[in-house]
Formats: sequence, C-alpha cells, structure tokens
Amino acid sequence: MSPFSEVRFVAQRELRKSFRSAKGIVLLVLSLLGGTAVTLLLAWVQQLKREKLQNVTPEMIESAREDAMTQAFGDPATGKLLSHTPEVLLAMFFITIWLTPLLISLLGFDNVSGDMQHKTVRYWTIRTRRASYMVGKWLGLWTTVSAITLTMHAVIWVVCIIRGEAPAATAISWGVRLWIITLPISAVWCGISTLVSSIFKTPIVALLATFAVFFVLWVTFLIGLRFNVNALTYVYPNTYDGFLINARIDRWMTGLAACVGMTALYVGASSYMFTKRDL
Amino acid sequence: MSADEATTTKEASAPPPAPAPAAESVPPANGTPAPAAKADAGDSSPMSNPYAKEAAPSAEIFIAEGAKKRKKKPVEIAIRLTKVTKRFGAKTAVDGVSLKVKAGSVYGLIGPNGAGKTTTFSMMAGFLQPTEGVLEVLGYSPMQVDELRSRIGVLPQDALLPGTDKVGEFLVHMAQLQDIPPDACEEAARAVLSEVDGRDWWGVKCSSLSHGMAKRVQLAQALIGDPEVVLLDEPTAGLDPRVAYEVRQLIKSRKGRCTLIVSSHNLAELEEICDGAAILDRGRLVASGSMNELTASSEEIRIKLSPGPAPVPLVRDLPMVKRVEWDEERRELVVYFERGQGVDAEQVIGAVLWVLLQNQARISAVSKGRGLEQRVMELTD
Repeated sequence: MSPFSEVRFVAQRELRKSFRSAKGIVLLVLSLLGGTAVTLLLAWVQQLKREKLQNVTPEMIESAREDAMTQAFGDPATGKLLSHTPEVLLAMFFITIWLTPLLISLLGFDNVSGDMQHKTVRYWTIRTRRASYMVGKWLGLWTTVSAITLTMHAVIWVVCIIRGEAPAATAISWGVRLWIITLPISAVWCGISTLVSSIFKTPIVALLATFAVFFVLWVTFLIGLRFNVNALTYVYPNTYDGFLINARIDRWMTGLAACVGMTALYVGASSYMFTKRDL
Repeated sequence: MSADEATTTKEASAPPPAPAPAAESVPPANGTPAPAAKADAGDSSPMSNPYAKEAAPSAEIFIAEGAKKRKKKPVEIAIRLTKVTKRFGAKTAVDGVSLKVKAGSVYGLIGPNGAGKTTTFSMMAGFLQPTEGVLEVLGYSPMQVDELRSRIGVLPQDALLPGTDKVGEFLVHMAQLQDIPPDACEEAARAVLSEVDGRDWWGVKCSSLSHGMAKRVQLAQALIGDPEVVLLDEPTAGLDPRVAYEVRQLIKSRKGRCTLIVSSHNLAELEEICDGAAILDRGRLVASGSMNELTASSEEIRIKLSPGPAPVPLVRDLPMVKRVEWDEERRELVVYFERGQGVDAEQVIGAVLWVLLQNQARISAVSKGRGLEQRVMELTD
C-alpha cells in the first residue's frame, strides 16, 4: 500500500472522528455562532458608518480605503485590489486568521496525544508507516479546521448578500478567495499543533503546551515588530497573511512557499520524532 | 521436528533445559499436528492447513478471493531475537534475549511481573525498538510495516479501542489499512467479528463495550485478514471464566493456521494451548523450549499415594527408571527416566502403576512432568 493511501485512510477516519466527537460538534457550533455574531456586529458598524458618512461619496470612501490598504500592505497595487473587497468579508478574513490558532489548539491538542495516552495508536502503527499516520493526522486536522472556517465564511457571504453589502458574485468570489488564503496559514498552525501533540502522552499537557508554543510565537512576532527584526516576525505564521493577500505575485509566492515550507518542517519533524520514539 | 524449536543462546542464571535437536520429531504435548506434518504434506503455508477451513470458512474464502498482495516469503522461523536488549534509561527491561519461534507453533512468553514479557512482546510488535540486538518477524524488522502488512496481527495488552468509532467501522478501517480490497473489507470485518462471537456489536460504539466485549473486538482486529503471525498479550486478563474459556477456544482454533505468541501470567492456560514457551525473569531468558522440555513431561512422572504401602525400592528396581524421589510428607513419588529406545512416559507410567498396584499401594493421582507452574517457580525468584 502506498503511503498516500495510508494517509488518506487515516485522514478520512480523523475527519469522521472530529465531526462526531462532542468536542468537534461544540467547536463547530461555537464557531458558527461566533461567526454569525461577528457578522451582525460588522454589519451594524457598516450601517452606522453609512449613516454617519452620508455626505461622503462612495468614491471618496473607496479612495480612503485604498490609501489605508496601501499603507497597511506597503504596496499600491494591493491597496487598489483590496479597496474593492467587501469590507465585511475582509474583516472576517482577519478575524479568521486571528481565531484559527485558538480553534486549532482546541481541536488538535489530543490529535496524537489522545491516541498515545491509552495506547490506541498501537492499532495503527502495525498497519501504517508512522510517518503516514502523522501526516494523516495533520491532514485530518487541517481539513476539519478548513471545513469549519469555510462554514463560518459561508455564513458571512450569505449575510453580506442578504444585507446588500455586495452583489452575490462579488461576495462569493471574494469570499472564496479570502477563505483560500487562510488555508496555507492554518496548515502551518495545524503542523505546529500536531508536532506538540505528538510529543506528549497526556492531552491536557499537550493543550497547555500548544497554548504556550502559540503564545511564544506571537510574542516573538511582537518583539520582531517592536525592534524591527524581520527574521523574528517570520516565525509567526500569521505574518504571511500580508504576503498571501498581496497583489504582487512574487509576494504571494513567497508567502505560499513560506507556509508550505513551515508546514513541511513541522509535520516532517513530528513524523521523524514519532518514527524514532517508543509507543 | 518439534512444533516449537525455541532455543536458548543466552547464558541464564538457572540452567536451561537442553533444546530439542533440530531433526528430532516430537509431537506437541497437546496432540495437535505439528507444522512439520504440514511440511510433509508438501505445503508449509499455515493457510493451507485443513484446520483452517473447519475453524473459519468465511475468513478462508476471503483470503482466497480477496487478498490483494501477500509478500509471501516462506520462512521456517517466524520470530527470531538475537541478543535483544531494551533499556529505559538506567533500567534494563530485557537483557540479551535470544530465541527463535518456529513458524506455525503456539509459543508462550512466561514470567513474573517485571520479567520483561510485555517489553519483549512490544518489541516484536514494533511498538518499542531494541536498544541492542536484532529482532526479526518473518524475516523483517517489525518496523518494516509495509513488508509485514496483513502478515502480523497484534492484541496489545492495554491499548484502548478508539471510543468514538463504532465496532464495525473500526474493523473496516483496520482492514482497509491492511490493504484488503475495498469491496472485501466489510466481509472480512464481519467474518472476524463473528469468529469472536460479536456479530451483534457491528453498530455499537467502542466506548460502550464491556471489558469482555472490548477484549474480543481487540482480538478480532488482531485476527482480521488471517495474519501469519499473531501476537497476543494477556488475551484473557480480566475476563470472566466463561469468556476466558471462549477466548482460549478461539486461540486454539487458530492453531496450525498461524504462528501464535501468547504472553500471559496464566500458566495453566499457556500449558494448555502452547507448544513451547520462553521463561523470562528480570529481563533475562532463563529457559525456553517445547512444553514437554519445560515441564520435563517426557523425563519424569509424579504419582500421589494415599496413606498405605509405598513400595519405593521396587519402583527403583524397574529397568527403565533412572532415579526415584519419595516425599513422605506429601506422599509423592517422582520417577525419573531416560526417554528413547522405546521408552516413553506412558510406558513408564504403566510399569510403575503395575508395581504399585501389585503391592497394594493406593494411587490418588498421576501426572507427567512437573507442571509449568512448578517449573516457573523453580526458575524465577
């Protein structure tokens, strides 16, 4: 059997497990409720803005947004591109990017540690290569997280269309595009979560360790920003949202390559350690 | 050739029994045909044993029709440990153990708590990696999963089933990972679940199973796909006597179809089902061999006498008798003899009983050998 088939079987089972477990269902419901609440809040803010800025023409608003985006991403082309994006969708994109690590840590902490705690993993290791098991676990987690965020985004698209924030075609095309941009970043976070989970045999310890690692990465990013040390900011996966949303292809490719590389590094490290360790 | 060709190559604190000569033909103690008999029939494959079809025809049919690929490399020795050592930090759990388990035999791993049984078992299953030495299962390292896929089944001692899975989907998933064709996975899973008498549990969540039911599902996953080597760690631990009996019967029904390694504290159980065994103590192999050799059932007989005459000198004078020990307190007569040249345990029992009965001795029990329990007590601290 090829390693790809092994990975597919493990990931499929992981998906089934995620959406059947109480934890998976609760997180999905919470994500949907949270997403809906945020959407309504954003819509309310939009309405408020419209009322307050009655004298300002849409062209002036677009121009202001373009300036703001250009300043934020340091690139006029990106500023121009994002000025056309429905605001609610863009806000949801950044919220997703920031909330995804929390979702991943809650979904993934017992991804491997849960199987190791009661030695359930032994049923798999006599049937799959250990590396395939680990990649399958990562893929299962990533797919689960992607499905949950897609559902959250879909809620926003619907609200956006119903409230007339944007035409359906614009809302869906931008919505799908922004959701796809979240995928490489969540892949990295899933890789880190899988690595941490594979180190510990006690899920609660794995959860605390995952929080700790995510927090350390965030602090490292802040230090990098504060002291203008770019290298430090690059260890934080969310840094790459600016690359992946960029209009310049070279920036986009850099962001994608960085995310793929980091994911490969974390999943590779967890596979290697898992292959070498006693179970 | 003996069904069990385990040999001791490690120096042990207690003297190991002499291994059976490789060419010697000794039927196993329990009377089950030895694999050598299969070889005589011109087929060394465990699957071709006539017992297989009797035991589980559905599983046999599945193998014939559904096996996608089997890397069948005929082997004589199913499991080989060469100076295997496992250390956990400063603690040495297994110390230079060497043994061989012949293909087709039922082999026991015996020893007190902390003897290294489960560690040895876990290394055979690839859960742990030896610190030193070489361990081969069917000629491969246990870590070579792809080579051993579907050829090895393992019942780990304390590995919980995944609680969120239903029994059926868990077994089907295990079958998928064993490279059983997709359309045959459910059939294979149902067949093996029937074999453990659990056909009604298909849709039951693993977390809802009782201990006995879970143990049988664990056994089912070990047997799925009819593997050539099955490792069973404490297969009857914690089971009520009826379920334990059923599991024992199931293991017995697999005899001749595959090589079975059973690690257990239950010595009576091992004596009943195993062709041979290795006795471990403090990580070292102190003895190994066929059950006959370990229990010395082909070298001594024990006779318990009720109060009354005990004609020990007359027994001692019998030509085939080498030595006689008489324990006055327990009223037990131990007769040692030299096997071979037409002399076997049954012949000696007949002659000794004749002498005893002729002299009005009242016989209350007769047994061959020492019993595995006594042997283990002698060899371990």
